[in-house]
Order: sequence, then structure tokens, then C-alpha cells
Amino acid sequence: MIIATPELIVIATAFAILVSDLFMTENSRRALAPMAAIGLALGLVVTALFVPASGELLGGRFVMDPVAWWFKILFMLSGLIAVVLSMDTLDGRARVRHRGMGFRGEYYAILLSSIIGMMLIVSSRELATLFVSLEIATLPLFVLAAWRRDDPKSGEAGLKYVILGSLASAFIVYGFGILYGLAGSTRLDVIAAAVSGKYTPAFLLAVGLVLAGTGFKLTVVPFHLWAADVYQGAPTIVTAWLSVASKAAGLAFAFQILFGLFGAWVSQWGAMIALLAALTMTLGNLVAIVQQDIKRFMAFSAISQAGYFLLGFLGQGSEGVPAMLYYLIVYAVSNLAVFACIVWFENETGKENIDDYRGLSLTNPLMALGMMVALFSLAGIPPLSGFVGKFFLFSIASKAGYHWLVALAAVNSTISLYYYLRVVRQMYIEPADGEVPVPRRSPIIGTTLALLAIAIIALGVIPTVYERIHATTIAWLPTLPIL
Amino acid sequence: MGLLSWLIAVPFLTMVAVLFVPDRHWRAIRWISLAGTGLGLVLTAVVTWRYWVESRADVEGFRTATQTTLYLVERFTWFEPLGIQYYLGIDGISVSMVILTALIIFCGVLASWNVETRTKEFFALLLLLVAGVFGVFLTYDLFLFFMFYELAVLPMYLLIGIWGTGPKEYAAMKLTIMLLAGSAFVLVGMLALFHESGLHTFDLQRLATVDYSDRFQWWFFPMIFVGFGVLGALFPFHTWSPDGHSSAPTAVSMLHAGVLMKLGGYGALRIAVYLLPEGAKDWGLFFMGLTTINILYGSFGAVMQKDLKYFTAYSSVSHCGFVLFGVATLNLMGFKGAVLQMFSHGIMTGLFFGLIGMVYGRTHTRVIPDMGGLAKVMPWLATCFYIAGLASLGLPGLAGFVAETHVFLGGFFGNPWSSTIATRVLTVITTLSIVVTAVYVLRGLAMAFQGPIKDPHFEELTDATITEKFATGILVATLLVAGLFPWLMIDLIEPSLYPFINRLQDVASAGLMGGS
Repeated sequence: MIIATPELIVIATAFAILVSDLFMTENSRRALAPMAAIGLALGLVVTALFVPASGELLGGRFVMDPVAWWFKILFMLSGLIAVVLSMDTLDGRARVRHRGMGFRGEYYAILLSSIIGMMLIVSSRELATLFVSLEIATLPLFVLAAWRRDDPKSGEAGLKYVILGSLASAFIVYGFGILYGLAGSTRLDVIAAAVSGKYTPAFLLAVGLVLAGTGFKLTVVPFHLWAADVYQGAPTIVTAWLSVASKAAGLAFAFQILFGLFGAWVSQWGAMIALLAALTMTLGNLVAIVQQDIKRFMAFSAISQAGYFLLGFLGQGSEGVPAMLYYLIVYAVSNLAVFACIVWFENETGKENIDDYRGLSLTNPLMALGMMVALFSLAGIPPLSGFVGKFFLFSIASKAGYHWLVALAAVNSTISLYYYLRVVRQMYIEPADGEVPVPRRSPIIGTTLALLAIAIIALGVIPTVYERIHATTIAWLPTLPIL
Repeated sequence: MGLLSWLIAVPFLTMVAVLFVPDRHWRAIRWISLAGTGLGLVLTAVVTWRYWVESRADVEGFRTATQTTLYLVERFTWFEPLGIQYYLGIDGISVSMVILTALIIFCGVLASWNVETRTKEFFALLLLLVAGVFGVFLTYDLFLFFMFYELAVLPMYLLIGIWGTGPKEYAAMKLTIMLLAGSAFVLVGMLALFHESGLHTFDLQRLATVDYSDRFQWWFFPMIFVGFGVLGALFPFHTWSPDGHSSAPTAVSMLHAGVLMKLGGYGALRIAVYLLPEGAKDWGLFFMGLTTINILYGSFGAVMQKDLKYFTAYSSVSHCGFVLFGVATLNLMGFKGAVLQMFSHGIMTGLFFGLIGMVYGRTHTRVIPDMGGLAKVMPWLATCFYIAGLASLGLPGLAGFVAETHVFLGGFFGNPWSSTIATRVLTVITTLSIVVTAVYVLRGLAMAFQGPIKDPHFEELTDATITEKFATGILVATLLVAGLFPWLMIDLIEPSLYPFINRLQDVASAGLMGGS
């Protein structure tokens, strides 16, 4: 039972928040965010210290393995950061008041339930559980995207997300149905053994459908179309969480599907993954160049980052698993740092255009420095962790012989540097004109940002975390039915 | 922590120290930076001395070695799963480049004495960049090399973007993007080497023990060479250089043209030629041809320029062409010339850009025809300008002469893998650039410094201040010493080049050694 404690803690926290919200006065609702944060922190500590990195429940339908362990740590950690970033906005400490952002109790409870869904995805070893977990993870995101009720943009974002998201779920569930039909079981290992080597049209259809749905969650081109509008329309605190959560959930799901289900098919998918990766990173990058709105800009940045993640699925080796996990952690930390700045800036000025950031290095040096470090990490500049992470992923592709793809990825990193530098240029080179409001200090976000920036540097320079991930997950693949 | 780590750590720690000083104490920031770079100079002297003493004993062994012999080695495993190490060491080439870097940055800080806007950030970024440059010259792990390489390039964006002049944002962006695109190709080559070798290491020395297939070398040699060539201003990837240099503030131009562009030539020799000798044989003649264009194009380009900085930038393209030309000759004489040219061009261009900054600070113009008669009011600066100019046109007795002669001789000796007629024809064509260089240098200097004083307000201008005299004096002295006592540098460099030659050939033959 102990292996499910982190989930239980998070669920308990979510319920505690919902229930106590009923009895609280408006003023005392400030305690809700710390409650959520404490719950997640407790879950983190318990997972890190007490939960063993292997074990199973319910006859192998719920499994804890090293990969799941790392994913859970990541989900709770980024959830914790998302909660902290939301505090100022929801508690009304922002200079710019956000209308329609009340209902803190529901907000945190829904946020937590999306975390629970993600934590369940990585532990599910069976189609039905997997699908339900995916829905638990993504349905709350649809709701959160539409959180600012009286803002039509937010409503539109939620609607777009829910329609396209349901479409993707429909693809997945249809694919699952075919797989069940082929194998007569919903257990991943049974299906994997049953379908391996038998590439019938039905199987290929199932693969296509499931991968299309997965591609949607991961924002892989051509399934990326929802991202920009949803990112832009959703309230910024939600976008911050979304940018990490949808990617992390998508990747967790892709791990289950690609490795757990189609593991035997590994030698077949290389060319297809390479093509998708090439398309995703290139298109995401090129479109990001012309964006003016910083949230939209981050959406395309996230799309191009998805292309880099895909490199990890190339090749036969199991190095891809630790490389992807490490990059996911790096990506989460860097992206949350960027969003910490965006949330802070929007709270203070109400603006979200890239041009509005001009002169920030003089008006708020800490924010500008944190933003620069995070953007450079996303661009893959050494010695920041983004560089190290990308390097490991490129190495996988290079080992698999996809030199053209590595070259394209490297050129894409250079292109991405061009647009990340656009923001840096606004902050550091363009002079501030008198009308730009000066962002005030925000102790909560400022501290978070500083910690994240330190983490970005430390993850790149101190190898301990990567070595731990590598040591614990390198042997993960062979336990799966790969023939 | 070993001596070499300290060499990297000192600028870095100085940067951290600078960051903690409040901006209003900008005078203190300058002094801290000067002290830090001065300490770097002292450390460089110690490193050079120790290298000299320790390497003397084995110098005969170098002659037959196919592996660079390293001194003052420091290594430990860093990212264990990918076999990435923290691996520092030096050979003669590194030492000469470290001396160059330490000198230029010390003088660069002196030349930036008047930076009064955002002083803290300026010096912090400058020092970060220098830490990166030292790192590149000292490291023998490819991953670490690449990391330092990018660290050396990126601060340039902000340095040019914030403190530059003219179309600085355009220039900064162009420079950064082009240089990092170049390094992207290096990255691809580096990962390919890592996996092709099957050794699971980025250790340069161990990677050099592998005999890569000819096909592999044929593909990846040009990729790595061009990747580094972008930073070495290889035609047609040089276009960032004139824009970047002319927009950059003085110290940054000094450091960039003086040191950073050398990273390109250094990487091409150290990594492309060293690891992929077969590829070098296949492509040597092609790159000799390409760099011939570099040399001529740069010198003709300089003739056309009216702006002093553009003028020097184009002449840099031409002179850096000599570095890559020397590398592409694939013989000892040419390699020697290339390394000597890196050193002498570094000092010379550093001096040039420093002087341009000082003259511009007084006249507020960089347009040569607007100047005239300046030698009357600023004799010291004019004299230094002449010396730098004469060094760049290859006057015997100054550093440039020794370097260029070696490169020409290298081209003339040729190598067994390219048609000797072709290399000689190319060499003869490149010698043409000496004449062109003489034309533009003499004409430019005469227009700016001789004749009657053109603008009456030039009469009130003053000569160099004491800091400026100090900065330029050091560089002029270096040019003279390296020119008058060339064996000082040659003795330092030459033995370390034998392994490169030995790798290129299976049996050592006198021809490749360039008759030495």
C-alpha cells in the first residue's frame, strides 16, 4: 500500500481543500494555497524518502517503477511551483486585479486533481486505467483554461481545448478498443506480447490512432494547433501550469504507449519519430519568431521543445529514457521560471506583449536576470542545464545514426536563440520609456524565481541529479517486452 | 585546485566579485577587474614557466609522438554516464594562446577605463567571456571544450548590443546567430565522433587513437572545419565580422578580433585536423583555395573602407585567412605559421582596435578622410598605429613578418596529398595580398595622421593618457619582441606541432616537416 501513498496524500489534500473551503470566510481562504503547497510538499518528501522505487498493487495494474518514481517527483514539484505562482493573483496581492479569478478552493482542488491524474498515468499498466488517468489529468486542464469566466478569450481557450482534447481522447480510446479486440486483454504486457510481430492493418490503424492522440497531448506537429490559442487565452497562472503539465502528462503517456505497448515495434518507429521531430521543432521555431504576445510565443517555444523530446525515442538504446526524463525536469524548471516572470510582470503591469518588457533590466534586475537565465536554458546555452539536457538528447539521435536530424536540431537551437534573444534584447538593450510601469517586488514569486534560476544552473553544472536518473532508469527498458 | 583551473577561475571569481560591488562604485569595479586580469597575467607567466621547464626534458620525444604531450594535467569524471570529464592540460599551442588572451584582456580592461554606463555589467560580462576563452584553450575534453566555446561567444551579444555603436542590435544578433550556427555544426561532428569511436568518451586524446573510416572523415572533416571556420572568419561565412567589429565597444573589439577569432583557427587545428587527418588530406587543397579568397577578398575589402573599424575588420578577415590557410597546408611550416599568425594577429589587431577606440574617443570620428594631421597632436598614438600597421603589412622585425613567411613557405612546400603546382599557385596568389595590404595600410595611416590638420578643433586634442600609454606600450613591446626574437615563440610552439604532422603521415618524411 505504501507505494500509493503519494497519490493518497494528494487526493486527501484536494478533498481537505474542497471541504474546508465550504466553511471558510473570504479572508481566511488565504490559507488554501499554503494547504495545497503543504500537501504537495508532504507528498514529495514521502515519495523521496519512503516510497520504494518498485512495487505493484492490484495484480500489477498499478505499478511503481523508477521511471514512475521520477515522474511523480516531477509532477508534485512542478505542481508545488504552480501553486506558489498562483498565490499572488488569486489572493489579490497583484497590482492589476484579475476579474473572475475567485473560487480559490475549487482552483487548487482542480489543480491537484490534474496532478493526481498524471501520477496515475505513470503507474497504470492497463488500458482502462490508463485512459481514465489520462482523462483525470486533462479534464481539469480544460476547466482551468476557461477559469476567467467573464473573459471571452479564456472561454474560447477552454472551449477549443475541450473540443480538440476530446477528439484526441476519442482517437486514443478508439485505438485502445482495436488493441483490446486484437489481444483480448486490457493489460499492456499481454497486448504487447500478443501483437508483437503481427503488423496487421488493424494493428497499424490502432498505432496511428493512439499516436495521433498522444501527439496532441505532446503538441507534436501536426497535432499542435490547439496550443497557441489555449496558451494565450488561458489565465496566465494556468498557462504556467499548462505549459509544463500538458507536456509532462503527454510524455508520461507516450512512455507507457511507445515503450510499454509498442516496445517490440521499436525498430519500426524511428523514421516516423524522426520526421515528426523534424517537423515539430522547425515549425514551432519558425512560427515563434513572429509572435508578439509572450504567452503565444511561449506556446510555440513549447511546441518546438516537444520536437527535442521526440529525439529521445530514437534508436534502440535505453539511454533515451534517462535523457528524456532529465530534459523534462530541466524543461519544467526553466519553463516555470519564465512563467514566474510572466505572471509577476502581468500581475504588476497587466501587459503581456514582448515589447512591454523593454528596460526591465533597469527597473527590476532580478526579474530580468531570472528571465534571461531561463530563456537561455530553453535555448540550450551552456553551462545551463538546458544545454546539457539537449546535448544528451542529441546524442541519442546521433547514436541512432540520424546525423541529419541532429544537424537540423542544432540549427533549430540557433534559430530558437534568435527569438529568445528578442526578449533579452527588450529587457537589456532597448531603453525603457517613461510609460513603462515599474514592477514592484513580490517576495513569493521573487524567491521562487531565484530558486528556480539556481536550480537551472545547478542541474547543468552538478551532475548528481542526472547520474541518479541515469543509474535508476537505465535498466528500465529491458524489463518491458522487447523482442 | 590546480594551476590551470585557477587560470579559468580567476576571471570568473573576479566577475562574481564585481557583481557584488554596487554600481555607484564604478571606479572600484574597474580596479577589481584590472587586479583580476593582472592576476591572470601573473598566473599565465607561472604556467608558461612551468610548461617550459617541464617540457624541455621530453622535447626529443615529441618528434615521433602521434599524441600531444600534455602538462599540468587536471582531470576528473564529471557526467559519468556519458564519459564526460573535466580535463585540463596544456601544450605549446595552448600556452601561446593563453599568453595572448591574458595580454589582450589586461590591455582591454585598461582600454575600457572610460566605460561609465552600466560599468558593473560591462566588466562582469567581459570577465565571463574571458573565463570561457581560457577554458577553450586549456581543455581536452570535447564536451567541456564546446561548453567553454559557447560561453565565450554568448556574452558578446550583450556586450555589443548594450555598449556598441551604430546598428548595434543588428550586428550583435547577426554575430551571435552566425557563430552559434557554426558551433551547431561542430556539435554534430562532435557527437558523431563520440559514437563512431565507440569509446564512450569525449577525451580528445583517446578519440585520437581511433582510426575512423575514410568515408566518415570525408563527411565530418569539412563539417567541423567549417563550423570552427565561421569563428575564424572563413569565406563566405565571415560577414558577421565587419559588422560585429565595427559596432562593438573598444575592449570587445580587441578581445573579439584579438582572441575570439583565434578560437576558430585553434579548433580547426586542434580538433578537425588532429582527429580527422584523412579528411584533412582530402579537403586540404579545397580549403587552401577557399582561404585564398579570404585573404584577397579581405585585403581588397579593406582598400574600399573609409571607416577605421571596418578597415581593420576587413584586414582581420584577410589576416585570419592566413591562419586557416596555414592550417590547410598540412605541413609543419604551415601549421607553425598558422599558430604564429594567431598570436601576432591577436596582438596586432588588439592594438589596432584599442588605438581606434582611443582616437575615436578624442576626434569623435572614425572616418579616415575626415581625419588628417593627427600625428602632430597625438604622437604616441600615431606611432603605435604605425607600428601596428607595419606589423600587419609584414615588415621584418615585427611579429607579422615571421608568421606570414612561415605560412607562405608552408604553402610553397605543399604536401603529398595535394598537387604541388596547385598549392604553389595559390600561395603566389596570396602573396599578392602583401602588396594590397601595404597599399591600404600606408594610405590609410597617411591620410589619418600625416599632412595638415584638417579640423581646427583637432588642435586641442591631447595625446594618450598614462593608462593608454601603458596598455598600448605592452602590446607594441610584444609585437617587437615576437618579431625580433621569433625563436621564443617558435621554440614554444614547434614541438607541440609534431604530433599533428605525425598523425597526418604514417612514416615521417622530411618534406612534410617543411625542411626543418
